[in-house]
Amino acid sequence: MSNLTTVEAFGDGFVSALCPELMLFAGLLLLIIVPNIGKGTFRIPGTQIRLPWLMGGTRFKFTSDPRLPAWIASITLGGAFLNVLYVFSQGLERVVIVSESGKELLLINGFSRIFEMIFFGALALAAFSSMNRLQVKGTGSKVSEQELYNNRRQADFYILMVTCALGMSVVALAQDLFVLFIGLELASFSTYVLVAFLKESKVGVESGMKYFIVGSVASGVGLYGLSMLYLWAGSLQFSVLATAFAESGTTALPLIGIGFVLVGFGFKVSAAPFHFAAPDAYAGAISPVAGVLATASKAMGMLGLVRMLLIVAAPESSDGSAVWLGCLGAMAAITMTWGNLAALGSDNPKRMLAYSSVAHAGYMLAALTAVGAWNWDATVSGDAGAAAVAVMTALLFHLVVLVAFKLGAFLVLSILESEGGASRLSSLGGLAKREPLLAVAMFIFMISLAGVPPMAGFLSKLLVIMGIVRIAVGDMGAEIADGGVYVLADMHWVWWLALLMVINSAISVFYYLRVVVVMFFDEPEEGREGPLPSGWQVRLAILACVVTTLFVGIAGDALIRLCEMAAQSLNYSW
Amino acid sequence: MQDWISMPLVGFPLVASIVLLVFVSNADESMRKRLSDPIRMACLVFSLVLLGITTGMFYQYFGNVSWEGISFNTYEFTHRYNWIESLGIHWTVGLDALSFPMVWLTTFLLPVTIIATWNEKNGAVYFPIVLAMGGALIGVFVALDLFMFYVFWELTLIPMFFLILKWGGKDRKYASQKFFIYTFTASVVMLLGLITLYFFQDPVHPLNYAGSMTGRTFDIPTITQHALMENSNGNWYLGANIQKILFAMLMLGFLVKLPAVPFHTWLPDAHVQAPTGGSMLLAGVMLKMGAYGMFRLPVSLFPHALQYFQLVLMVIGMVSLVWGAIVCLGQTNLKKMVAYSSVSHMGVILIGIATMQPMGWAAALFMMFAHGIISPMLFAVCGAFKHHYHSMEIGAMRGMAKHSPWLATSMMFAWMASLGLPLLAGFVAELMMLIALWYFLAAEGWSVFWMVGPALVLAITAGYYLWSMQRTIFEGGDETQPPASLHGEPVPDIANPEKLAMILLAFFTILFGVMPWIALDMMHDWTIQIFEGLILPVLGGFSGGA
Repeated sequence: MSNLTTVEAFGDGFVSALCPELMLFAGLLLLIIVPNIGKGTFRIPGTQIRLPWLMGGTRFKFTSDPRLPAWIASITLGGAFLNVLYVFSQGLERVVIVSESGKELLLINGFSRIFEMIFFGALALAAFSSMNRLQVKGTGSKVSEQELYNNRRQADFYILMVTCALGMSVVALAQDLFVLFIGLELASFSTYVLVAFLKESKVGVESGMKYFIVGSVASGVGLYGLSMLYLWAGSLQFSVLATAFAESGTTALPLIGIGFVLVGFGFKVSAAPFHFAAPDAYAGAISPVAGVLATASKAMGMLGLVRMLLIVAAPESSDGSAVWLGCLGAMAAITMTWGNLAALGSDNPKRMLAYSSVAHAGYMLAALTAVGAWNWDATVSGDAGAAAVAVMTALLFHLVVLVAFKLGAFLVLSILESEGGASRLSSLGGLAKREPLLAVAMFIFMISLAGVPPMAGFLSKLLVIMGIVRIAVGDMGAEIADGGVYVLADMHWVWWLALLMVINSAISVFYYLRVVVVMFFDEPEEGREGPLPSGWQVRLAILACVVTTLFVGIAGDALIRLCEMAAQSLNYSW
Repeated sequence: MQDWISMPLVGFPLVASIVLLVFVSNADESMRKRLSDPIRMACLVFSLVLLGITTGMFYQYFGNVSWEGISFNTYEFTHRYNWIESLGIHWTVGLDALSFPMVWLTTFLLPVTIIATWNEKNGAVYFPIVLAMGGALIGVFVALDLFMFYVFWELTLIPMFFLILKWGGKDRKYASQKFFIYTFTASVVMLLGLITLYFFQDPVHPLNYAGSMTGRTFDIPTITQHALMENSNGNWYLGANIQKILFAMLMLGFLVKLPAVPFHTWLPDAHVQAPTGGSMLLAGVMLKMGAYGMFRLPVSLFPHALQYFQLVLMVIGMVSLVWGAIVCLGQTNLKKMVAYSSVSHMGVILIGIATMQPMGWAAALFMMFAHGIISPMLFAVCGAFKHHYHSMEIGAMRGMAKHSPWLATSMMFAWMASLGLPLLAGFVAELMMLIALWYFLAAEGWSVFWMVGPALVLAITAGYYLWSMQRTIFEGGDETQPPASLHGEPVPDIANPEKLAMILLAFFTILFGVMPWIALDMMHDWTIQIFEGLILPVLGGFSGGA
C-alpha cells in the first residue's frame, strides 16, 4: 500500500491527481465554446478596423457540424477513461485533497478510481453511440431555423453527458457528505434532463417528469438525513462520522439520519421500494441514456451505499454484525425477487431491462449485506478482512462488467429505436434474419445478464455468490478438519440470500430467453424488414461491449485482481 | 506421451465451429446454400478426426495408456493451465475409465449424427452448431476442475437450445425454453452446492494455494483426495448434516439432467420438438452427463450421504423405470414414446447406482454407454419417419415392411435393441442391473418380490415396442396403407446417408452386445477401483461381489 499524500486544493500534485476531472472540465468548456465559434468580428470603437474575435456570427462549416459536440464529448470521456486506465497501469497513488482548514474533501485511491473507470466508460460508450441518435440535418447555413435549433440541441445533450460524468466522479472521490451530495445532485440533475430530452414525445416528457419528482423527493429526504447527521456529529466528514458512530452510533438520531440518506441512494440503485420510477424513466429515455441510468447511475448509488454503510456505519469488529444487517438483507431479498417477477410480466424490452436492473440491484445489495456480516462469529468467521475484501471485489467486478452487457443491450435497442421504436417485444422480431450479428450480440448480452457461462455475467454472479458463501461459511472448513461438527444452521443466514439469488437467476432466464426466442424465431413486424439503418459508431460500441463480455468471461483474472486491489483500498484496516 | 491430446478434443470443435459460424454469418442466403455442402463435409472430416484420436487413445496408439488398472482418483492425459488464478481456477483436463467411454461415445456420435441428418435444412449453420455441441460435451467429460466442469455443463445448453429453436418441430419455441429453464434452474442450485463445497474445504490442512484469493481450489482430484482422507467409517467428510445437504444439492442438478421422475417433464417436450440431430445428441450423450456427474462428484465425495440416501435413490430409480414404461404404453406419438423409454432406461442407471454394488455400478456405466448407442438409433429412426412421412403418429401407416424395407428393418432392429434383446448391447446392462439388484435385496434381507417391478418393466417395454412395430411395420397385409400425410405421393424409403448411419449404429450395437468386454472391462475395472479405493475403506464391507 502506497503512502497517503496530502495535497491542498490547487497545490502541488493537484493537477496530476485530478487529471481525469480536469480533462472533463476542459471538455465541458470546449463543448460550450467550440460550437459557437464563427466569423464574428469586433469593431474597435471609433475606427473602421474589425478584429476577428471568432465568437458568434456565421459559424464555420467545421464548428456547425451537428456531430461535433458528440465527438468532443466522446473524446473527452474516452480520454478520461484511458487516463484512469493509465493511472492503474502505473500503479496507484493515494492522494487526499484537503481544504485550507485541513478538512478532507476528496480522496483518490483505487476504490474511487475504479468507479471513475465505470462512469467514464459507460458515458463514453453512450455518448459515442448516440452520435447519430438525435435528429440532425444539414450543416452550415443551409438549414432551416427548426433544423438549426435541433442541431444546437446536440450541444446541450453532450454538455449534460459530461456534467453527469463530472458529478459522478465527484461522488466517487468525496470524503465529505456535503461534497458527495453536491456531486450527486450535479449528476442527478443532468440525468433528469437527459431522461426528458426527447420532449417531442409524450412518453419522454412524462418519464422525465416522474423521474424528476421521485428523484427530488428522494434527494430531499437524503438532504434531511444529512442535516440530522450534522446536528448529531457536528461535521459531515466521513472520518468524523465514522468515529462518532463507533462511539454512539446506535442511538435514534444518527440511525434515522443514516436511514434517510439511504433513501436517496436507494433511489439511485433502484432498490425496492424506491424503484417505482425506474421502469418509467428507462422506457421514456432514449436507450443510451437508459443504459447510463442502469450502469453508471446505479454504480453511483451503490458507491454512496458503500460509503455510508461500510465507512460511516461500519460493522463493529467485536460482534461483527452491523445494525443495518437485517434491514438490508430483507431489502436485498425483496428487491431481487420483485425485480424478477415484475420483469416476467413486462412486454416492453426497456421496461424488462429496467426490472432486470432492479433485480441486479438486489444481487448487489445481497453482497453488501454479506460484507455487513463480515465478522459474525469470532470462532468461525475466519479472516474477516479478507472475506470482506472478497465480497467488495465481487461487487466492483459486477459493476464494471455490467457496463459491458447491460449498456450493450440498451445500445442494441437503441438501433431499433432509431428505426421506429423498441417499446414492444415484437419490435425485436426477426432480428436474426435482418441483422444476424446484432442478434448474436443481443443473445450474448441476454445470457450474460442471466449469468450463463462463459459470459462475464456468469463470472460476476459467481464472484458475488462466492463472496456471500465465503462469509457465511467462514473458517468452518478448518474447524471441521480440527474435529468440529457443524450443521447447516451454523452458517450465517446470508447463505440463504445466495440461495435466493440462484433461484432468482433461474427465474430471470425465462424473460431473457424470451427476447432471444423472439429474435431468432418470430417474424419481423410489418414494414420492418431488411437491415437496420444506423451509423457505424453505435455498432462499434456494441462490438466493444461484446468483446468485453466475452473476454472478461473467459479470462477475467486481470480484472478480478484490479477489483481486488480497489476493494483493499476502500478501508485500509481490512 | 501425448498429454496435450485432450486439449484439441475440446478446443478444436469449439473453435472450428465458431470460425465457421462467423464465416457463414456474413454470407447471404444464396451463398449460404452453396456453402452448405463444403461446410458439411468439413464438419464431417473434423468429427472423424476426433473419432480417430479417441479410437487411437483406446488402442493405446496415443499415450500408451492402459484403461484398465487406473486406480481411483488418478487420471491419464492430464494437463493443466492456469485460468483464473485468483480464484484457484485451472484449466485441468484428464481422463479415466469413467470419462473415457463417454468421450469416445461423443466423438462416435458426432459423425454419425452428421451423416444421419445429411440433408438437414440450412446446413451451413446447422453442422457447425452440432460440432460445437460435441466440443462442449467433450469438455464436460474431460474437465477436472469444478469451475470448468460447470462452464461446459452450461455451455452445452446453448447449442442445444438453438438446435431445438431453429430446426425443431411446431412447438419448438415452448420446448426450447422449457428445456433451457428446467436444466438451468437445477444447475444453478448445483452451482451453489459446488461453491459451498469449495468454501468448506479447509484451506490450510491439505495445501495452501499461493496466488489464489481464497486459498482454496476448484481442482476435482485434490478435493476428492481431501474428501477421501477425511471420510472414514465413523467420520463424515464435512460432518453429517452438511454432507447430506451438499449431496442433495449436487444430486438435484444431476437428477434433472438425467432425468429422473419427477424432474423428467422437460425431456419428452424437448425430444419431440428437437430435430433428429438434436435428439440423437441429447439422448445419446447429454442425458449421460447427469449420470457421469453423479459418479464424478457426489458418489466420489460423499459416500456416506450416498448410503444415507440409498433408498431414496432406489425409489426414484424404480419409479422412473416403471413410470416411464407405463407412460410409453399410452403414447401415440412415436418420438414421445421413445423419449419416455429413455426416462425408463435412465431409471436403470439410477437403480444401478443405488444398489451400491460393483456389479450395479458397472451396469450403470455400461447402460450409459449402450443407451448412448441405441437411443440415437431410435431417434434416427423417428427422424427418418418424420422426415419422409411428415407424421409421427404410430397408426399413421401400415405395412412399412413392404414399401420401406430399410426403414422397417432399422426400426425393428433399434426397437429390439432397446427392449433388451440378448446379444444386443442393452441386454448386457439390464441383465447386470437385475443381478445387482438381486444382490442388493439379498444384502438388505428384503423380499425378492421387489424384483417383480423391474422384471415386469421388461415385459411392458417389450409390449409397447412390439405393439408399435406391429402397427407400423407389419399390419395391413397385402393392402399397405401409406401415411395420409403424404397425400398419395409414392412412399419413399430412407436416403443413403441415413442407411449408412443406421448400419453404423446397428453394427456397434451388435458389437457391444456380443463382445461387451471391449468397453465393459474398463468400466468394471473402474468400479472395482472405486470400491477398493473409496467405498470399502470408508463404509466398511459390502456384500455381494462382481
